[in-house]
Amino acid sequence: MFGRYRGTFRRECGDILVEAESVDGLLTYRRRCEGQTFERILVSKTGEVVINPVEPVNLPREITDFLLVEFSPMMIEPGASRTVYLKFPVEIGVFVESARDIEVLDVFASGTQKYTLYGSPTSGIIARYYESAVYPEIPQVDPFREGVMELSLHNSCREWVEVSRVVFESTDMKIYYGDFVAATATMKVLTKTMAETDFVDAPLRPGMVKSVELYTARKIPAIDRGYLMEWGF
Amino acid sequence: MAFNVTEVLEIPIGVGDITVESLLYFAVILTVGVIIARIVAINVRRILAERLPVNERELLAKLVYYGIIVWAFVVALPQLEFDLSGLLVAGGVAGIVIGFASQSVVSNLISGLFLMFEHPIRIGDNINVADVAGSVEDIRVLSTVIKTYDGIYIRIPNEKVFTSNITNYVHNAARRFTYEIRIRHQDDANEAIRIAKEVIETHPFALKNPAPSVFVDNLGDYSVNLTAYIWAPARNWWEVRTDLLWKIKVALEENGIEVPFPQRTVWFADGLEVKGGSGEKNE
Repeated sequence: MFGRYRGTFRRECGDILVEAESVDGLLTYRRRCEGQTFERILVSKTGEVVINPVEPVNLPREITDFLLVEFSPMMIEPGASRTVYLKFPVEIGVFVESARDIEVLDVFASGTQKYTLYGSPTSGIIARYYESAVYPEIPQVDPFREGVMELSLHNSCREWVEVSRVVFESTDMKIYYGDFVAATATMKVLTKTMAETDFVDAPLRPGMVKSVELYTARKIPAIDRGYLMEWGF
Repeated sequence: MAFNVTEVLEIPIGVGDITVESLLYFAVILTVGVIIARIVAINVRRILAERLPVNERELLAKLVYYGIIVWAFVVALPQLEFDLSGLLVAGGVAGIVIGFASQSVVSNLISGLFLMFEHPIRIGDNINVADVAGSVEDIRVLSTVIKTYDGIYIRIPNEKVFTSNITNYVHNAARRFTYEIRIRHQDDANEAIRIAKEVIETHPFALKNPAPSVFVDNLGDYSVNLTAYIWAPARNWWEVRTDLLWKIKVALEENGIEVPFPQRTVWFADGLEVKGGSGEKNE
């Protein structure tokens, strides 16, 4: 389903249908996912429809830029480093692209969403919540529901730390897709309560294609600066 | 008789040596200044539309707008032969007079500046101030404009906003709301709590953390009273609150747990004698 399409097309995967068909001479984009439908008439001569996984912070409505993944607690020795694999939720973005511009047409996803508060109610942040197990190898995932995150953990403080969640700013997120959806991230523990997280702009496997990011399509300028987790992990 | 423009322009207007020409220059400079200020402010808003929060964007646009106008005024003043250094001398006395005359204006202005920099409220926030509840439409130099939930425009002087108790419902990231759920005494309260928690869990904006809390709060005359505390994002709490209660009621009823009607058990000392049984007719 992920890829670029010109003119009419039809892709169906499970309960997801995405198509562009000519209705009475009008090119019509139509999406059906879990009983919900979305339709738009496209007026375009040279434009392409781009479908790819996007930052999972848009549904049911965009209220935050943050993603929090909670996982089984891990105790990390001072100075130790380890790479593990987590799952993260996938939302599918549909863009219309021409030579001069790209615009978001539709965002949808299978399954439900949940949000949480990271930090205190007065100074914390709202984040999209997802629960994952910790995998030593790349786990099997449904590419339309979940992605694989390679997380490189490093404890740079002088004490043992327990880590059970990681928070990212979605504007830093670099998603790649191929047989599955993937992102590569780092988490550097600075103190007992603070850690720095960031995404790495590199495919998990060679040959993966980089997704068009939502904030790029929305022309929102963003600086990749990572995120500082100040309220524990 | 020939009409000579130069002569007309050189006609004194009767105040010092000010001529029509210098008055025109003053007006033109000021008009150009206002036009430039508007164009620059519009462009500042447009360029920063998606880069800055609306509050900061409006503040910056207003600062630029009034800054250019003040600059144009200062540039235009010499056309009226106004000696700015003289203003410093005269300013002392005039300042006192103007100060008294415009006490409330200055007070509103200073309050407005404090509001802009202290940020107790921002444009778009849902607030309650001076007994007015609504969303902030604009924070101006002298006043704050609030649109009530009924869509009514209310302008409050900044001094009043600044000196009143301000309740900002969306200042924090999350807020809590409460439901009181009543079930019958014969219903299983633990089951009701489990069902209510399950329904709350399905709502995306009922926050995972802080976790919702549902518990038996007290035993009423005719009902067991459960209380549910639910946290939601501050900007979305109303939608969660209006959405969840009915879903909880439906889920409870589907599982045989009902909301009780008010009832009272009456005991008769001599027992209750039933008259007018089947076949018996009362006259």
